Amino acid sequence: MYWRWALSRGLSSAAARFHGHGRFTQRFSHAAPCGGCLGRSPWETRSKVLGCTETYSLGLRGLHDIRYQIHQDSSSRAEEPLDPFSLVADELSLLANRLRSMVVAEVPKLASAAEYFFKMGAEGKRFRPTVLLLMASALNMPISQSAADGVFNTLSNELRTRQQCIAEITEMIHVASLLHDDVLDDADTRRGIGSLNFIMGNKLAVLAGDFLLSRACVALASLKNTEVVSLLATVVEHLVTGETMQMTTTSEQRRSMEYYLQKTYYKTASLISNSCKAIALLAGQTAEVSILAYEYGRNLGLAFQLIDDVLDFTGTSASLGKGSLSDIRHGIVTAPLLFAIEEFPQLSEVVDRGFDNPADVDIALEYLQKSRGIERTRELAAEHANRAVEAIEAFPESDDEDVIISRRALVDLTNRVITRTK
Amino acid sequence: MLLRSILSAALRGRSTRRLFSVVAPRGASMGKERPPDSRSKVFFGFRETYFRAYNGLHDLRYQIYQDGSSIPEEGPDDPFLLVADELSLLANRLRSLVVTEVPKLTSAAEYFFKMGVEGKRMCPTVLLLMASALNVPVRESIADGVSSGLSNELRSRQQAIAEITEMIHVASLLHDDVLDDADTRRGIGSLNFVMGNKLAVLAGDFLFSRACISLASLKNTEVVSLMATAIENLVTGEKMQMTTTSEQRRSMEYYLQKTYYKTASLVSNSCKAIAVLAGQTSEVSMLAYEYGRNLGLAYQLIDDVLDFMGTSAALGKGSLSDIRHGVVTAPILFAIEEFPQLREVVDRGFKNPADVDIALGYLGESCGIERTRELAKEHANRAVLAIEALPESDAEDVQSSRRALINLTHRVLTRTK
Repeated sequence: MYWRWALSRGLSSAAARFHGHGRFTQRFSHAAPCGGCLGRSPWETRSKVLGCTETYSLGLRGLHDIRYQIHQDSSSRAEEPLDPFSLVADELSLLANRLRSMVVAEVPKLASAAEYFFKMGAEGKRFRPTVLLLMASALNMPISQSAADGVFNTLSNELRTRQQCIAEITEMIHVASLLHDDVLDDADTRRGIGSLNFIMGNKLAVLAGDFLLSRACVALASLKNTEVVSLLATVVEHLVTGETMQMTTTSEQRRSMEYYLQKTYYKTASLISNSCKAIALLAGQTAEVSILAYEYGRNLGLAFQLIDDVLDFTGTSASLGKGSLSDIRHGIVTAPLLFAIEEFPQLSEVVDRGFDNPADVDIALEYLQKSRGIERTRELAAEHANRAVEAIEAFPESDDEDVIISRRALVDLTNRVITRTK
Repeated sequence: MLLRSILSAALRGRSTRRLFSVVAPRGASMGKERPPDSRSKVFFGFRETYFRAYNGLHDLRYQIYQDGSSIPEEGPDDPFLLVADELSLLANRLRSLVVTEVPKLTSAAEYFFKMGVEGKRMCPTVLLLMASALNVPVRESIADGVSSGLSNELRSRQQAIAEITEMIHVASLLHDDVLDDADTRRGIGSLNFVMGNKLAVLAGDFLFSRACISLASLKNTEVVSLMATAIENLVTGEKMQMTTTSEQRRSMEYYLQKTYYKTASLVSNSCKAIAVLAGQTSEVSMLAYEYGRNLGLAYQLIDDVLDFMGTSAALGKGSLSDIRHGVVTAPILFAIEEFPQLREVVDRGFKNPADVDIALGYLGESCGIERTRELAKEHANRAVLAIEALPESDAEDVQSSRRALINLTHRVLTRTK
């Protein structure tokens, strides 16, 4: 039940911010198991809560009153911004540790290599697993009401573990693809630290990537769900396809927005979208709901990448050319430039020359400045973010607090993706 | 059904390999007691490409049966012949399975599936034969019509295992070549040599993902587990090879474990998968596994010997590629047991060609080669025992494919290249 406790901690701290109540420290907010016991009186639910794992039976008697109060106040609950990351931070640590131990191989050298990317500092904000865990909570709805609560708690724990497994598998696949993409690439800084390849060489990068993929495969097999296996295997295929698309583009393809968006889907959005779908499938959701989860992931991923493209030009400032410009310097043509080409066809010549000549980079930046490339990219990102929100809003209704909060967090994430500056 | 016809045709002698003739409908007894004339002509409604009928040959067949004792090795039980047509079918399907929307990726992925470079295809041969060998009805009660439909479907699924196994195998070869900096493979340039390391790595990943997708479509979680284990073992084996300590390099146990991971695990787990798909019991599945495992180990041990001997009987005439790459194999390991001073030479690595000669010298004096052959023979025997322990069946196909599997173990031992 650890995840519930963690989630409830997040919720209670969120709730505390709502109501300024200092004494919400640890409790089961979600005292109502998914057996649809929301109709029960708080007393009943509380005693059920205490019946669960002793570690967490904090008999904070008075809390049910507060909980009841929250329900009464639910209408006046402020729509205060939640930090989606902190909602699942504890669970993520759990995952990271589990991932680390799953990765420990008989050969320490390889384990430390593979572990390299799972270390705290190197993970960025662990965006993907956050999305997946929130999605799991957002879809935590009873499918059948009939299971005895005791059984159900076990089942829902097991489900959560399986969904966490998806998050782990997704990370392993992601890192494996980074490692393999690095083979013979000159990616010397990856995520702010030297890439594994740069430090340890081509061979270990290949082997470490293989190691992660094979572990992911074993973990997938253990879930005993062949549709999920299929989804995540498709992700690997897409990652490879996207990377080879990037490696082998013709000039014409480089100028094509359609090609670019397809490649972006393959390289960035497919992983999130298909793993969101896997989360939904494991939760026993219908095909429609699973597709909604997929759509959320897909649109979020695309929005993320589009803003990434913008930031590569603007950086943390609002002005152009202050970003790292690493895409353009690597000859990768992204959305802002593609939009600019639509307004200034002469830019396509410059693009075709490649960007080996720094002067060409400056020329391109000038055109970009004159054009609405940046704005249109932001608009497109906002469009995708909206579609992501719509997908969440189309989920089957639920009164469950965790579910509501997680859905809100997912919506909040789309906002953060659009407004982030790094 | 296709296979039964192939097998019957094959039983009529090699020349009729491509011809499909009269075969009794499935479920009918194909035992020797049935007089040839009473067999009726039955056509099976499957792929037209293989549809040609010959009925005069049943006389020849009868003749062979009467001479039962003298079935030549190269004849009806030639394992590769028995499944040759099916293998072509598989090869075509494989080529279509690895098509992508990025032309460069497709050419990389299909590189080793092109005609002429498919390799010996030992593994798919074993798997198809195993499928036939286990074609023992688990339940007799199904009506023939239904049963032949089901058995066609079963066969397709088992063929899929063979395809999946090939994809995994080639994926691992592509990565191994990058890890070993190999220039050639199967007589042509290695993919990394021709198209670069990165594309080779990515192509390997792609094949792996396609294999997993095919695997998932079989909708059998036990089979998925088996193949996932095989995949993990392949990586573990390669890792063991790349990162050994000196002590591990001298250990026969470590070497055998690594050999199991790198060579035998794939064939053993896929044999087991074949059995699982056929609905066999876990005992029978284990027998299939044991066959694959022992065959794989025997194969690798002889491979080690051939690396020293080549096609001649003399030492040092082989390619010596293992030792030159610093890979210490069974013959050397046995020799170390007899000549502990060889240990020092081994520990130095074999970058110095003089050390290679010294090692060969010791090897020549030792029983290393012989003992390796003996060990291989032991494994081959165990493989045979596994086949012999399979549940009895009177069906001709079943018997001939089991004989073929046994025949394979002999070939593995006696091959010279």
